[in-house]
Amino acid sequence: MIAAIVYAFGEAALSLWRRRGASLLAVVTAGASLFVLGLLLLVGVSAGTLLARWSAAAELSVYLADGASPTERAAVERAVSASGLSAGLSYVAADEALRRFRGQFPDLAAAAATLPANPLPASYEVQLRPERARDPGVDRLAAQLRQMAGVSDVRYDRRWIDRLLTIVGALRSAGGVLAAIFAAAACLTITAVVRLALHARRAEIEIMQLVGAPLAYIRGPFVVEGTLLGLAGALVALAGLGGLYWFGRPRLVEATAGLVALGDLQFLAAAQILALLAGGAVIGCLGGLLAARTAR
Amino acid sequence: MIDAQQVSKLYTRGVYALRDLTLAVGKGEFVFLTGPSGAGKSTLLRLLLRQDVPSSGHLVVGGRSLSKMSATQVQDYRRSVGFVFQDFKLIPTRTVYENITFVPRVLGQPPAVQRKKAFQVLKWVGLQHRLNAFPEELSGGEQQRVAVARALINDPALVLADEPTGNLDPDLALEIMNLFRDINARGTTVLVATHDRDLIRRVGKRTITLEQGHLTEGRG
Repeated sequence: MIAAIVYAFGEAALSLWRRRGASLLAVVTAGASLFVLGLLLLVGVSAGTLLARWSAAAELSVYLADGASPTERAAVERAVSASGLSAGLSYVAADEALRRFRGQFPDLAAAAATLPANPLPASYEVQLRPERARDPGVDRLAAQLRQMAGVSDVRYDRRWIDRLLTIVGALRSAGGVLAAIFAAAACLTITAVVRLALHARRAEIEIMQLVGAPLAYIRGPFVVEGTLLGLAGALVALAGLGGLYWFGRPRLVEATAGLVALGDLQFLAAAQILALLAGGAVIGCLGGLLAARTAR
Repeated sequence: MIDAQQVSKLYTRGVYALRDLTLAVGKGEFVFLTGPSGAGKSTLLRLLLRQDVPSSGHLVVGGRSLSKMSATQVQDYRRSVGFVFQDFKLIPTRTVYENITFVPRVLGQPPAVQRKKAFQVLKWVGLQHRLNAFPEELSGGEQQRVAVARALINDPALVLADEPTGNLDPDLALEIMNLFRDINARGTTVLVATHDRDLIRRVGKRTITLEQGHLTEGRG
């Protein structure tokens, strides 16, 4: 068994070296397909981190009507506190809201200054407990607050996060289909290249068959050749992903004006890197098996 | 060694390559298989190498029925048979030594055993000084001697040769035949297919003649 493995690796390495042009082409093609696979994984990971952060920071904003009385405000505070959903409650006065607006949108600050009165209402910002951010009770609390005296509107940003999660979920499903297509493309490329190797060595295969060589010796080198091509393709894909990550990450953070933080964009974890390498090897192995099945 | 009973090989076009062939070849015998082109010589060798199976009849080699064999049994059987072809079937990208050790190597034998066997057979065919040469650097006679050495490296009980002198001049042909005679003298059964009547006469061994798939002479 060990002799067969040593033989298969030796022959595969020799074959890859002899046809290094075609081998390189196969590695680059498989690498491109695996790069797309890895990119989908990378985007999925970062989107997950980002949405988790946004989910944890989900807030309920309760906008107060002009002239809301202290009694009405106290009732709002009691309702929020009694719900058990709140991790914190802060009151934002109308002046403070205007100051924040000027800070966040300096270009519009001058226009806001020309208004005869402050158009922004006072509000409560309710920080939700992260573990209960998806609790249906939040919707009930929002509805309850909306009915209360002194409240003009209630905004719950969990809804758009949910919508975003739905979109990301749909994109992940589409990405899964895309990933399967690219994996098949990588597999077929490797099959074609290994088949060429098989064709070049048909005389050897015929002799091996005639001397009664075990199937492991006949097919083994081609399966190993496919595996090595897939593995090399995965390494190329990882190098590409690494480059994209280190060059692209600061630029994306800059382009999103702080909406996306550096910490939101994570590179693949060690387990995911290993999975990508193993995936490349498996795809290559499958390609080698498909090509080698004609040699018996 | 070889026992064929009513062996027929029918191809899909309805043409019989062999028909009701019955013959016996004893252990340690040297037999020529002759006949004109299309007589069925190559078909019989294909059956004996288990590259094909008879359409009917029984073909037994060394006590093994070739009609009923699993893939593993076919591999095992072929390891007991040496073969030599007219076109040598050497691997052009490998040296003489690599071509010869190829057989024990793919059979998983240790490198030391491969080396020992290779030097033995190369010395025997007189090519120990050409072990690093590639096939294209050798003459036709030398290439065929390498093929003979490769056929012998696994100590086969039976050696099959299909027109082994077809590409060689008469002197080289006789030289190769002498090698086969030496192989036979060591107790190995040898079956040589050739249409060279003159060579058969000069070697002077038992001859089986086929014509249009029928055995016409030398049933045994």
